[in-house]
Amino acid sequence: MIQGAVVTVLLGGIAALDATPVAQTLLSQPLVMATLLGLVWGQWVVALKVGVVLQVFAAGTLPVGARTPEDYASGGVVGVGVAALLASLSPFAVAQDACVMLGSVIGMIAAGLGVPLVKWQRRRHEALSRWCETALRQGDASALGRAHGAAVVLAFGVGVLYCAAFLAVSAQLLPPLVAHRSLKLARAWEVAQPVWLGLGLAHLLNAFVQRRFMRAALFGLGLVVGWVLLVVGR
Amino acid sequence: MIRVPLGNRQFNVMAARLTLLQATWNYERQQGLGWAWSIEPALERIYPDPAVRRERLAQHTAYFNTQPTLASVALGAVARLEEQAAQDGAADPALIPRMKSLLGSSLAALGDRLFWFTLRPFAACLGIALVLLGHTWGAVALWLAYNVVHLTVRWLGVRWGYADGPAVASGPLRSRLEALIGTFGRAGALLVGVIMACLMVPAGEPRSATFQLLLAGGLALGLACSQRARPSPTEWALGIGAVALMLGWWR
Repeated sequence: MIQGAVVTVLLGGIAALDATPVAQTLLSQPLVMATLLGLVWGQWVVALKVGVVLQVFAAGTLPVGARTPEDYASGGVVGVGVAALLASLSPFAVAQDACVMLGSVIGMIAAGLGVPLVKWQRRRHEALSRWCETALRQGDASALGRAHGAAVVLAFGVGVLYCAAFLAVSAQLLPPLVAHRSLKLARAWEVAQPVWLGLGLAHLLNAFVQRRFMRAALFGLGLVVGWVLLVVGR
Repeated sequence: MIRVPLGNRQFNVMAARLTLLQATWNYERQQGLGWAWSIEPALERIYPDPAVRRERLAQHTAYFNTQPTLASVALGAVARLEEQAAQDGAADPALIPRMKSLLGSSLAALGDRLFWFTLRPFAACLGIALVLLGHTWGAVALWLAYNVVHLTVRWLGVRWGYADGPAVASGPLRSRLEALIGTFGRAGALLVGVIMACLMVPAGEPRSATFQLLLAGGLALGLACSQRARPSPTEWALGIGAVALMLGWWR
């Protein structure tokens, strides 16, 4: 468990870097992190269930302009990490849906609470930026490199600490809830999962269709053909 | 003043440094510092005089913002302008900040639509569809689908921008990227349909009527509220989670 927690926290730092400061390759997307964490914790089903729900919302959360969107990079790692941790502590397979429910909710909360943290880093960068320009004008050619190094270290450190804090608090508070209230939580998952998926997919569909009849027809075609192929290929 | 024109080595280093374009993003200058860090290898080549180079570099730390992937194209075009300004005065150095700003906003409009509104959701849908169909490597498909375009544009964009100069934002590149937006938009709509089918009849077995009703309800709610910025989808989702927990508790 310790090994899994350490890797989860380090992946939290890597996701925080990939989300905005470095490269933006979508390594930080919840489904990618869920796959890695499923491998680390040996909890594929739990990790991918949480990963799919968080991914649907992450895909519709756009970093356009100066807007600070919900931080699904940290949210994905925290949500999947918490669910996998709880599932590894629970000996009963029936408690899996309870872990998935808690992981999804904690992931969304972490994504929302991550916004002020990202804004705080951006405000810290203002001072860094002013210092860098002054140093450049004074002939310090290495200032740019040092400023970028500092920003990368800050982002990684914040990502690691943020995930570690959520994981530590969840490991303390949530296992008794899973142990004693798993049926209630599983029932909540049965209700929440389809509504969440429908809600998230609607936002994606809206982004793709953009009130164009042809694209709406393609959605219908995908639905019907997918349905027929799945039923016939059973 | 100039030594030799920019070459592959500079283009590669500039493209590599662009990965940190947003590392120091802040509310005053946004990508300004990252931009200066990325263009530094070109300025080093163009301006042998350290005092002139320092001054040019400090000017490049000014406010700048665009879509981070297509920033590569703007970087190449501005490097070309810097080269022309230093070489034969073909470009006025005073006009460079204005051109930079124009390129930034023009490429942001295109890049936001391609990368944030279309390609990223498309890649996510591809990954989700594969996972729902039982393939654990859906995440790999997601990552590859995005990065084939993202890394290609980031790596080659500097060269495209350098070759065409500021005209790159209105040339054939724009038409090609517009065509990509249309293709990914249509493919994405089709994929959302496939995902819905996978959710309703996983492995060919229809889910319960309650599940299908709740899924349709979520879809209807999402379509109804997708035109409004607030509450955000995550806020809606948290509200739904709270209601589901209450129902699960007291049912």
